[in-house]
Amino acid sequence: MRLCLLLLAAAALAAQQRNPHNTPADAAAGAKIYRSHCADCHGIKGEGGKGPNLSTGVYYHGSSDEALFRTVTDGIPGTPMPGQFFSADQIWQVVAHLRAIARTGSHSAPNGNARQGRSLFRSKGCSGCHMVQGEGGINGPNLNFIGSQRPVEFLRQSILEPGAHVAREYWPAEVVLENGASHKGFVMNEDTYYVQMLTAGKGLVTLPRKDFRKLEVRKDSIMPSYQGKLSGEELTDLIAYLWTLQRARSN
Amino acid sequence: MKRTILALLACGGLALAQVTYERLLRADREPGQWMTYSGSYRGWRHSALAEINRENVEKLRVAWVYQMPVTERIEATPLVVDGILYVSEPPSNVVALDAATGRPYWRYRRSLPAKINTCCGQVNRGVAVAGDRVFVGTVDAHLVALNAKTGAVLWDVPVADRLTGHSLTGAPLIVKDMVIAGVAGGEYGIRGFLDAYDMKTGQRRWRFWTIPEPGQPGSETWKGDAWKQGGGPTWVTGSYDAEQNLIIWGTGNPSPDWNGDVRPGDNLYTDSAIALDADTGKLKWHFQFVPHDVHDWDAVQVPVLVDAEWQGRPRKLVYWAHRCGFFYVLDRTTGQFLLGKPFATQTWADGLDAKGRPIRKPNIDPSPEGVYVWPGVQGATNWYSPSYSPLTRLFYLTAWENKGLYRKGAAEYIPGNRYIGSVPEIDLPDDPGHGAIRAINPQNGERMWEYKLHTKPWSGVLSTAGQLVFGSTGGWIDREKTQMESYFFALDAETGREKWKINLGGTMSSNPISFEAGGKQMIAMPAGGGIFTFSLP
Repeated sequence: MRLCLLLLAAAALAAQQRNPHNTPADAAAGAKIYRSHCADCHGIKGEGGKGPNLSTGVYYHGSSDEALFRTVTDGIPGTPMPGQFFSADQIWQVVAHLRAIARTGSHSAPNGNARQGRSLFRSKGCSGCHMVQGEGGINGPNLNFIGSQRPVEFLRQSILEPGAHVAREYWPAEVVLENGASHKGFVMNEDTYYVQMLTAGKGLVTLPRKDFRKLEVRKDSIMPSYQGKLSGEELTDLIAYLWTLQRARSN
Repeated sequence: MKRTILALLACGGLALAQVTYERLLRADREPGQWMTYSGSYRGWRHSALAEINRENVEKLRVAWVYQMPVTERIEATPLVVDGILYVSEPPSNVVALDAATGRPYWRYRRSLPAKINTCCGQVNRGVAVAGDRVFVGTVDAHLVALNAKTGAVLWDVPVADRLTGHSLTGAPLIVKDMVIAGVAGGEYGIRGFLDAYDMKTGQRRWRFWTIPEPGQPGSETWKGDAWKQGGGPTWVTGSYDAEQNLIIWGTGNPSPDWNGDVRPGDNLYTDSAIALDADTGKLKWHFQFVPHDVHDWDAVQVPVLVDAEWQGRPRKLVYWAHRCGFFYVLDRTTGQFLLGKPFATQTWADGLDAKGRPIRKPNIDPSPEGVYVWPGVQGATNWYSPSYSPLTRLFYLTAWENKGLYRKGAAEYIPGNRYIGSVPEIDLPDDPGHGAIRAINPQNGERMWEYKLHTKPWSGVLSTAGQLVFGSTGGWIDREKTQMESYFFALDAETGREKWKINLGGTMSSNPISFEAGGKQMIAMPAGGGIFTFSLP
């Protein structure tokens, strides 16, 4: 039985299809599709955004040509990743472009002492707002898998210029009610009648719009810049640590 | 007393247990039923029931909920005939429920091939009922007749080839002894048509091609072979003017959607109102809202047919709030343009000329870099239904205030593949737009009131004799939580003031109806995977 499975697996491997549309022209055609259909979530250079960083060449749902073809065609159920409705040729062209993107990134560990970076993450105050594996604060994004979500350059920029890329759910917001009460925090959700917030003082609150005196949301970050607060070596170490925060990969 | 008469009429219906053409013609005499997609041939989506009204609507509560075993969006309008509620379940199934309890009698399950070509989900907008039969169009492009008591298949005919991008998603309409069925596939380069089938046999009586072939009138608005993949689908149920024997229907976008290079010309009869002789399917008149459309602004709205005074004399009219952002009034006998006025922000036209033809602004066509235009690609309204109330004489609709980023890309026709020429962006992160329920005075196109919404709904409205307008918030395109809400609410039909609301917690992409069951007025609205019904305690 075991042997049978092995044989089957070998047969499946042999049958794995390689990208038949792999010329630079294909990649260029794929780039056009990528820009109009993928870049919104994965970033114009594949650096990641709502969706993961695609510039490492290693993908959670499989890194073979065939696996990429399947992911782009069918999407990933249970995630915002939709299937795309292109012809097979066009999907292969997108895959060719993904390979071109991957050549721009790197999947090897950056220089720096990750162990050192880990203690800096605590001593420099990062963990006051960012949670990793259950430890840390909630005033900034959870960084459990930040190493697979963002390329190294992005991490560096986020540390030095926190306002450069801020997810909308971390824009600082303030609601002042008609009775003068103020609620500061993040808008987690909103609709025609209510705004749901994560506030520093009261945790999760739902506030009725009809009682609003004002709602102010700044497209900014509450994170301070670490420019000048870390030595070059410390910065490298911190990034090396963040890079180790990888999501385990399926086959 | 009035209630008793209504009840007697309902019993009369039970005794008949048949939906005759006469009953459909006089649907206004049986307000306890909802026998066609829009509730009547006139396309009003108005209920004459007044048990639920603006004085007591705050007491409205859930009567029953029917949950469908599906994950696809419900876009269906249920029908209610003689105490039975007939509704399609996506992709192409049908159930019959007891209208008072929501308990099912039977289900028709269609087994489908793996490859289905639908642009925007395997959805269905509802069934038609006539005689002792229920009719449903399927996503594999068939039309099926079922026995209304058992769900057994009576006939099943192919309407078109699913492999070339055809599907049936709209609710059929019964006219006389015919089933009128439209087709979807405007994103696959189909050549659109509207069909009539013999109710008893499933044999086709006529077909009107919405894209004329060379030599036919209108063919001069096409170049080369573009007409063969010209689009012009018919996927939303139209209306019927029995007095003039006219079927009035809307047609969709030309193909490819956002790149018009291969199809110079006006591209008749896409994005048009068409009026067909019900017996022959011959074109009596047409009015094209958007000549040579490159923004996907289908005319897939329900035509609202009203007889009213127009500039001092009685006239047969059509009211039409079109996806491009203008509200139109047309003469129903000739198709003549009478009025056109924006009902939402639009940046593409400097108004309409004397014949209703848009005066286009420069630089509004999609480009490789992208062009911002209001309304966005899903329009200032879309396929979900408007409503007309004979009490207020106002036209109600769900409107969107939004812009889109229109890009132009290559479009190559490969049978069964998308033939669109790029995909414009909507729900722009920095400027996602918002929705509103609006009331328009059809005499002059003026806005009488609006009820503003945080999100852009995908649901239509229902007006009732209780002086209420029911509508929804919503959104499904971006399923991110911040883009989605699902309140169902009732507004005062005269003022737009909110009277009642409830959070139903699921995607709303359909239209409300009202009917009578168990001696009570009910309101029904699909949300998430279920149909929610409401009544007074």
